[in-house]
Order: sequence, then C-alpha cells, then structure tokens
Amino acid sequence: MLSFIARRIAAGVPLLFVISFVTYTLLSIPDIDVARQLLGQGAPNDLVEAKNKALGLDRPVLVQYVDWLAHALRGDFGTSWFTSENVLVAIQNRVPVTLSLMVGVTLVTAVAAFLLGAWAGVRRGAVDRFVQMFAVAGYALPPFLVTLVLVLVLAVQLGLFPAIGYIGITESFGGWLSTVTLPVLSLSVNAVAGVAQQVRGSVIDVMRQDYVRTLRARGLPPWRIVLRHVLRNASAPALSVLGMQFVGILGSAVLVEQIFGLPGLGSMTVAYTTRGDIPVIMGLVMVTVVLVVVVNLVVDVLIGWLNPKARVA
Amino acid sequence: MNRPARVPLALVAFLTAASALAGCGGSGGGAAGEGSKTLSIATMTLPQSLDPKDAIGSALPFFQAVYDTLIKREPDGSYSPMLATEWKYDDKRTELTLTLRGDVKFDDGTPFNAAAVKANLERFQKGGGGQARTLADLQEVKVVDDTHVTLVLKQPNPAMLFYLSDAAGLMANPAAFAKGDSLRNSPDGTGPYDLDAGTTTIGTRWEFKRAPKYWGPKLPYDKVAISFFDNETAIVNGLKTGQVNAALLQNTDQQASVTGDAKLKTIKQEFDFQGLLLFDRAGMVTPALRDPRVRQAINYAIDRKTMLDKIRQGQGAVTSQVFGPKAQAFKPELDTYYPYDPAKAKQLVKDAGKEGFTLKLPRVSAIVSDALAASLQSDLAAAGIKLEWENVDQGTAVKRIFRDRGFSGMVMNMGQSPIDWVVVGELVLPGTFNMFGYTDDTVKDLLPKIQVKDAKDARADLQALNEHLVKDAWFVPFYRMTYLHVSDGSVTIKPQDGMAVPSIYNYAPARQG
Repeated sequence: MLSFIARRIAAGVPLLFVISFVTYTLLSIPDIDVARQLLGQGAPNDLVEAKNKALGLDRPVLVQYVDWLAHALRGDFGTSWFTSENVLVAIQNRVPVTLSLMVGVTLVTAVAAFLLGAWAGVRRGAVDRFVQMFAVAGYALPPFLVTLVLVLVLAVQLGLFPAIGYIGITESFGGWLSTVTLPVLSLSVNAVAGVAQQVRGSVIDVMRQDYVRTLRARGLPPWRIVLRHVLRNASAPALSVLGMQFVGILGSAVLVEQIFGLPGLGSMTVAYTTRGDIPVIMGLVMVTVVLVVVVNLVVDVLIGWLNPKARVA
Repeated sequence: MNRPARVPLALVAFLTAASALAGCGGSGGGAAGEGSKTLSIATMTLPQSLDPKDAIGSALPFFQAVYDTLIKREPDGSYSPMLATEWKYDDKRTELTLTLRGDVKFDDGTPFNAAAVKANLERFQKGGGGQARTLADLQEVKVVDDTHVTLVLKQPNPAMLFYLSDAAGLMANPAAFAKGDSLRNSPDGTGPYDLDAGTTTIGTRWEFKRAPKYWGPKLPYDKVAISFFDNETAIVNGLKTGQVNAALLQNTDQQASVTGDAKLKTIKQEFDFQGLLLFDRAGMVTPALRDPRVRQAINYAIDRKTMLDKIRQGQGAVTSQVFGPKAQAFKPELDTYYPYDPAKAKQLVKDAGKEGFTLKLPRVSAIVSDALAASLQSDLAAAGIKLEWENVDQGTAVKRIFRDRGFSGMVMNMGQSPIDWVVVGELVLPGTFNMFGYTDDTVKDLLPKIQVKDAKDARADLQALNEHLVKDAWFVPFYRMTYLHVSDGSVTIKPQDGMAVPSIYNYAPARQG
C-alpha cells in the first residue's frame, strides 16, 4: 500500500509540471493588456509599456514561464498584479472558505446519500419510489435556483442565517456554522441526489448476490448484513462518485460563493482569470492539481480498505 | 408512512441548531457582529494597492481612509482646507502656492511639511500609476518654507485643484518611500483611520480602525470596513439583512429589487453616460467618418429614448452632449439636439455619398448587451449604415482599441466630471480617447481661452465648445445612467460630486425614530 501511495504521489509531480506549462501558455494566448487594465483605459502608451516591462510581460512566454517556475520551486509564487497580495497568502486566506464548503458538502452528501440510497435499496417499494422522486427532483432543480430560494427565504425573509459573508471556524464556531450552512445545503441537493442513486443501485445489486442470500439463510440480523456486508461492497462506486464530486465542488462553488459573497477559491478563480492575473491563477491551478491528486489518492485508498478485491498492488 | 417524515424533520432540526448556534456566535456574517460604530461599505472596485501612486478615482475611498489629500472636496464639489489651508494662483495661472498645516505628523513622528508634499507629488508624477498623467503639467515643486510650497506648471491647468483633491493630492509618509513597495499593503498616511492588518484580508475585505492621534475632526465611525464583491446580488442581500450598510447599485434589475423595500434608503445620482465614442473623426480607419454629415447621421439614427426605456428601464436621461449637468459647459437644450429621425439620418448619409458603408466596432459584452448591440445595429441599418460588431474580451479590447488603434470608436460608459477641464483633457485634447489627435479650428480657437480662466469665468467659451462638439458630432452619447446609492437605513449617504462613489467623509449614522 505504501509503495502504491508513493507511486501515485510521484506520478503527480510530472503532472504538476505539464499542467503548469500548459496553463501558463494558455494564459498567455489571449494577449490581455494587463498593464492597461492596471493603469486604466486613459493611460498613455509609454506608461503602459513601462508597466508591461516592469511586470516582465515584454519577454517571450517561455522565458516568463521558466522565471515563474524557478521562483515557484523555491516556494515564491509572487504577488498579485492587481491587488499586490502575496499569492500564497491570498490562497491561504481563501482555502478555508472553499474547504469548508467541500468538506461540508461531502459530509452531508455522504451521510444523506448513503442513508437514502441504502434505505431505498433495502426497503424498495414506496420508500424506493420516494427516494427516486427526491433524486430526480434534486437533479432537475437548477443549483442557482435552490441557492437563491434558500437565501431569500431563510436569510433575507426569516433572518435565520446571514445572507452573505464568512466567519472563520477559529473565530467563532457558531458564526462559521451559520455562514456555511446555506451554501453547503445549496451545493448538497444535487450531490445527494446523484450519490443516493448510485448507492441505491449498488445496494440492490449486492442484495441480489448469492452470499447475501447465504448470510440471510444463516440467520444473521438484517441490519448486520446491510451494514457489514452489503454497504461495504456497495460503497466502492459511490465513493468514486463522491470523490469526483468533492473535486467538482470547486467548480460548482463559483456561483454559490458569488451569491453568498464568500471569499473562496471559486469566485477568486473567476475574478483573477478574467483579469489575466497570471501569478494568482498559476498558484490556484497548482493548489487545485495537488488537491485533485490527494483526493483521488484518498478515494483509492479508502476503496481498497473497504473492499480488498479492489486493492491495487 | 410516518418514517419518510424523519428526513425533513432532521433537516429542520439541523437548520434550527445551526441558526441557534449562529446566535451564540454573536454574528451573522462578514459584516455582522460589529457594533453600530462600524460602517460596512460594499464595493465592486478592487484597489490595485494602497500606495497613493496607484490610486484611481473609483477606489479613492480606500485611500481616503488612511491618507489625507492636500485639498478636501466637499460633497457638492467645492474645495475646502485639508492638509493645505490656503491656495492661490499667480496672474498667469502657472504658479499655484499652497499654505500647509504645520501641526500634522505621520505615525512615526515624521512631520508633514513642504518637503513631504514635494516628495509625494514628484513620486506620483513619475510613479507610473493610472492617474500619473494628471500631473503631466507639473514642471517643478518649489519648497518655499516648511508650510509653503509652490507648484510651477508648464501651462495653466484649470483642473489642478481637482487633482489635488483627488488621487494626486494623497499624501503618504516620505519615510516609507525608501522601503520598497511597503505602502502597497501597509499604507502610512495622516488620514482618519489606520488599516487594521489583523482583520484585513487584502482582495476581500479591508478594515480600518480610527487613528488615535488624528489631527482633524473625528469621523462618526470607529471602524470602517470595505468589502469587495463581484456581483450586485450579494450586495443587495447584504443590504437587506443589514450586513452591508451602504453600497452603490448600477444594475437596473438590482436597483428595482431594492426600491420596494421600505427599510432601505436610496439616493439617485447620474454620473456615467453611455455612448459611442468616435475616435476616428479624421477617417483614418473608416474614411466615411471624416464627413460630419455621416457622424450627424449616426446621432440622428439612434433611438435613445427607446434604448433607455428598454435597456435601463428608463433609469437615466437621454443626452447628445458629453458634458454633465454639473459642468459649466452643460446646456440643457443640447440633451435633445439630435431627436430620433431615421429619415434625416438616411438623407445625410446619402448627401455624403456614403450609403451602405460599414462601421466596425468592438463589442465588450460587459458593456454592450445583446439588446444594445441589436438596437444599434437595426437603428444604423435604417440609416444605410452597416454596423459590424467584433466580439472582444475586456482584456484584449483595451489593447486592440487603444494600442493597435484597430477601431473607429467604441461604446463605453464614462464618468461625467463636473470639472470641465477634466472632460476636455479626456475627450478633446489628443490622448487616449482622442488617439488620432483630431482637432479643428473652432476647438483650437476656444481651448486657449478656456485654459487660462476658472471654469465659471470661461462659461461662455465652454458652452461654445460644447455646442460645437455636439453640432459637429464628435461623439454619439446615448444617455446619462442613473445609479442608486443604497443604505440599510442605519446610514445617511451624501453622493459625491465628481465621483460615482461617495467620499469616506460622506457617511453618517441615520437618526433613528
């Protein structure tokens, strides 16, 4: 297992290099006039050229990339061209926000989807139909609509939650919970619907296996069969979906972060990419790649732990 | 059948618990948890840094919190003393002498004096910032004594006092100039507040706490928090829940969503106008535009009233002039100089012999909506002008337009400064928005007369200039756009003449009851 983990981590290193090069090149193609954006449309051309030179944008793209890489390897990701923030500090400030959403949504999804999916797969009948209806409704509802309704009803109308902003967990646990509850719920509806369907299908498949019939024939209590045998075997595909959704939340969080005014990585990515703030975008991409590699690794390890048949040597 | 109810019940229980915990947390979001002595402002402007040399007008409140300007600009646009107590031009208006306060010090004890003014102005002028050009006419800064300084100008500049009340007038501690880029995130000024580095997250939320030794009159709030948002939906929700105390709304849909809320207080302000800025009056890119009749035809072809009603829900006023109502050059009758007259437009194009010519314009979707693009295209088509849009993203657009000079004009939103010379400098003199350097005899005759007087004294010449620009169709303005200052009811806001956003000094607690 350790060598498997080591090999997966080692495989992530060239991935980082390749993605960093491709990203840097792609970011340089649009030919965004960063200096003009910084100085304003009314800035004279000589000032704009001087600014471009100061930012190093007058050099060939490859030279710029090598320069960035040399600094990045030393842990220096530079400063934002547009806000003068240190890139790592800027990302560090926003990671807790998005991580709160990702972990929150994953926990809610894992608990709710496994409960609903197992419930539907084991009980079938009316319960199954109820869960399926919920899943279809969860898929059909556009996330932005769910988000807006939650904000307007629970925050603006009823005043139960803050409509915007984020409070760090170290600052106030109650405050943190209040600021992440609605965003997490908004993102969870779709996720629960998807994973619950996956769990339901897997549970039904496993329930039909011969060994389950044998366990029943041996007189094991139904709850023990479900918990120890059925769910353990049915969890692998659901975990894969959950893992993918964990990473996917980075993308879907953009809208939710914007509506709730959350200073997270999603809204940051959109804002800085639109401006062409290469140092920040490169930092964000590197963090995202590391996150994807780590999450995939954790999911693989978890699946192997739950289901020995799926282990990779 | 009872069992399925457990899930919704559990959800309700969770929500109740979370909501209750929120109460325990004593706060309700980014701006919540702060006493009534905190002013929470939402903005969609991101300051590049807090170094005065990087200051631009729309980000000025960030800077006003920590820096004082030489001259203070009151909400009505008049000037009053700040770090300079008096100012006087010589007869030729090329020397401006400022008398400075002698009792102001920076936090480290460095005195604010004439040498500090000289260091700041010279640094701003050569600092490469977006507003550095506002001091282009500054030839020399002479230190007379500690409390007197003379600004020697290359030529009279009627906007100089405005600039000294704006970005160019922000005074930082000269001792910080030697510390590299320290001012970018650690501002050091004599202003009413200090940046609270412990609670500030650059790029998201800046918090300023009252400067304990501020020399001037205390502003009403102990703390000021300015939060950056990239959309007005979140700002409106923040206003409705009291997490945001004050903000400016530009989007008409968002404006409509707050006007029915009795708790929120709103004030209208017209600052930006939207229009087609024609750069190519010399016909360098589109030869047809050299003929004034063609430019007039474009003006007659545009159905401004319908565009304003449909695109901005009527929130604004149609206009044919680039000078705003607060400028001396403004003439109310020029707002309607070009009525919607497609037949006349078509005839003018025909008279000029330019029927069917193609006008290619850049389309930046953030400014030119689908509705606006389609409306302009059909209006011009009716006059025999083929309008071609080229989609460009915002980043590429500025390069294609201003550096490559690839287009004859562009549709844009632009502030209407009450200072006439600021408008002249931006739109009439050769420069960014007159990139081909076009001029004519009337303009050449009027500008020298305007330049050597106060705007009030030059009113007749300014109005003559404005009238000429309208009649000769230098531009194609559509309408002035109404923006809405909104408060959550706890704050009174005074709009600032010459800025879309209020100065930091223009907020005060609302009287309750």
